[in-house]
Amino acid sequence: MESWLEFARGPLFRLSFAILILGLLRILFLDIWGAYKAYRKAGDKSMPWKLIFSRSMEWLFPVKRVAHNRPVYSIFSILFHIGLILVPIFLFAHVKLWKRSVGISWMTLPYNLAYWLTVSTIVFAIALIIGRIFNKSSSFISRKQDYLWPVLLIIPFITGFVCANLNVDPKSYQFFMLMHVLSGDLIFVLIPFTKIAHCVLMPLSQVVCTLAWKFPPNTDEDICTTLNKKGAPV
Amino acid sequence: MRTTVVTDEERKKAFKSLRKAEVVEKQKLDVRYHIEDFDVNDRPRRFLEAFAAILKHSNYKMALDHFIKMSAKCSRCAVTCQVYQATGDPKDIPCYRSELLLSVYRRHFTVGGLLKGRLLGSGYLTDEKIQEMAESFWNCTACRRCSLECPSGIDHGLITHLGRYILSEIGIAPRALVVSTREQLEGATQNTSAIPVPALKDTLEFLEDDMFEEKSVHIKFPIDVEETDYVFFPAVSDFLMEAESLMGIAAVFTATGDSWTTGTGYFDGINYGLFYSDRMLERIVKKVDEEARRLKGKNILIGECGHASRSAKYFMPTYCGGKDAPPVINIMEYTYKVWKEGRLKLKPDAISERVAYHDPCNIARQRWIINQPRELLKAFCKNYVEMTPSGENNICCGGGGGTVSIDEIRPYRTTVGGKLKADQIRKSGCEILVAPCANCKKQLRELVEDQGIDCQVVGLHDLIYKAIIFDDSLVTKKENEPEGKED
Repeated sequence: MESWLEFARGPLFRLSFAILILGLLRILFLDIWGAYKAYRKAGDKSMPWKLIFSRSMEWLFPVKRVAHNRPVYSIFSILFHIGLILVPIFLFAHVKLWKRSVGISWMTLPYNLAYWLTVSTIVFAIALIIGRIFNKSSSFISRKQDYLWPVLLIIPFITGFVCANLNVDPKSYQFFMLMHVLSGDLIFVLIPFTKIAHCVLMPLSQVVCTLAWKFPPNTDEDICTTLNKKGAPV
Repeated sequence: MRTTVVTDEERKKAFKSLRKAEVVEKQKLDVRYHIEDFDVNDRPRRFLEAFAAILKHSNYKMALDHFIKMSAKCSRCAVTCQVYQATGDPKDIPCYRSELLLSVYRRHFTVGGLLKGRLLGSGYLTDEKIQEMAESFWNCTACRRCSLECPSGIDHGLITHLGRYILSEIGIAPRALVVSTREQLEGATQNTSAIPVPALKDTLEFLEDDMFEEKSVHIKFPIDVEETDYVFFPAVSDFLMEAESLMGIAAVFTATGDSWTTGTGYFDGINYGLFYSDRMLERIVKKVDEEARRLKGKNILIGECGHASRSAKYFMPTYCGGKDAPPVINIMEYTYKVWKEGRLKLKPDAISERVAYHDPCNIARQRWIINQPRELLKAFCKNYVEMTPSGENNICCGGGGGTVSIDEIRPYRTTVGGKLKADQIRKSGCEILVAPCANCKKQLRELVEDQGIDCQVVGLHDLIYKAIIFDDSLVTKKENEPEGKED
């Protein structure tokens, strides 16, 4: 078990972390490159930056649009995201690992806050799954990954919570820790290839939507040529 | 959180197809709008070819690539969609509708989709899927309200717009829109209402006489005047159906003395291309530009029409030279500006009825014109009330996205599409509903009639015409009018 654990948090972690970072950089680059190409092609290059900024902020810090549309779901989702983002990055034990391995560190969460954020992330993830199952419109449009993601995401939270807060025997501790690291590694690998890619693409959404309506000029002729419709009546 | 679901009886009425069974059989397409005959063979392949051609020559690929990675299926859009709120049918959820096209894109235009499809031998585009898209994309009013509620920023309106465009390239588009556009681009009259120039001139002369009778002011509709400040393009149907809006606009120009004109070379602001084909959108925008340049006008002025305003404002720079394109303004912007400058006087309390303002989606959704008409109305309406939600978050009239011009789906528009709007109008208790858009006006009139709401639907300038105060120097004393007590 110990050698498995060493492997999971050593080479496997480094590999999955590299996939995460390179994968996210790749999709981020492709998104920005696509937007840049669209901008170059657009006939109208004016961009309503103020509107784009204001709408982007509305969603990056979603307070304004919560109350009138699925308020319970929306608040649960926000609270879930807060723990999901803060705990893995700012947990004292995680920062200590970074310090030990690469020599860098940053601020950490107080123990009590980390404790409650972990609990809330687990609770709200379960609530979101239940909401998805029982809400008629949600369940109708949901794919498998929409149910599986919250389940996968709370595994490292549950196992991490057990290791950090419960007195378990060393063997069980090692098991939970192995599960913690393996599930974390799996999440890292999957993020760039699934909907969780929104963690880096979301700030670009409003720019992309605005640019999508900025059509290139003179496409009528090009499309007619490609589709062999030149001179065809309307 | 659904609030309004239509009854089974209403649903039956709304979704009843008026198309003959033999036509449906011949066209192999069961939709409620009429379609001109088209090649029914090999539709999936031709759909994919059209899709590929459009992707090659447009900016949609970038957006689709972004959307397929972002969609979280949270279903917040369901709460804002007035069609889903009315039908309660999950197939009307905007995210579901978008997925129809996104899944085709994912399967046929991404490496992952192609590999998966080849390995599993599944997911090919089928006639059934084309049928579903042809139905679903025209159930949507393209109001884009859902796009405001998507945390992932997915613009479902854009996807519907693209879906309709691709379908139109294989011949699937409402006949009403195609026939009108054909007349506008290739017909003798060059406008969607088929109004010949002599008839236009007669109408305007008649309106001028009418206005002189009413106001004793020579209010003119200048025709083919060169080098004016504004070249005017209303929704051409206004010349037939919205005389009072046009009279109000002419009255404002008479009061301010600014120069404007209507061109007889081309005078139609309507652009159905926005609803079904970017190629037509481009052709029509270029015609507007051509006429404005012929008349050497400084600005393009669009009348009371949401989609005409949006197509000109947002696509004139696209197709006609970017920054060098002629500036486009909507008539409400002009009227507001001259009123603020003190060049337009309005009689306070000219309208005593309870008045509410309806925001056309194409004008308000992008926060373009929201407060100006409200300020104007409050200046001369004693009893102005606000409908909630409004402005950027307004509820569509139910006839958006070109659906209002498809007469055969009127029961759908007034039972399903406009259900939420009807509830909102009822709740406001307004006696006069101001809708500065030719499409909204037509839909709202049909809506209040079919839903039995006692409310008059008018344009903003219809009311301005009633409230306008002319300078004494403009008022002509009539010949038989006694001039004081001379005798």
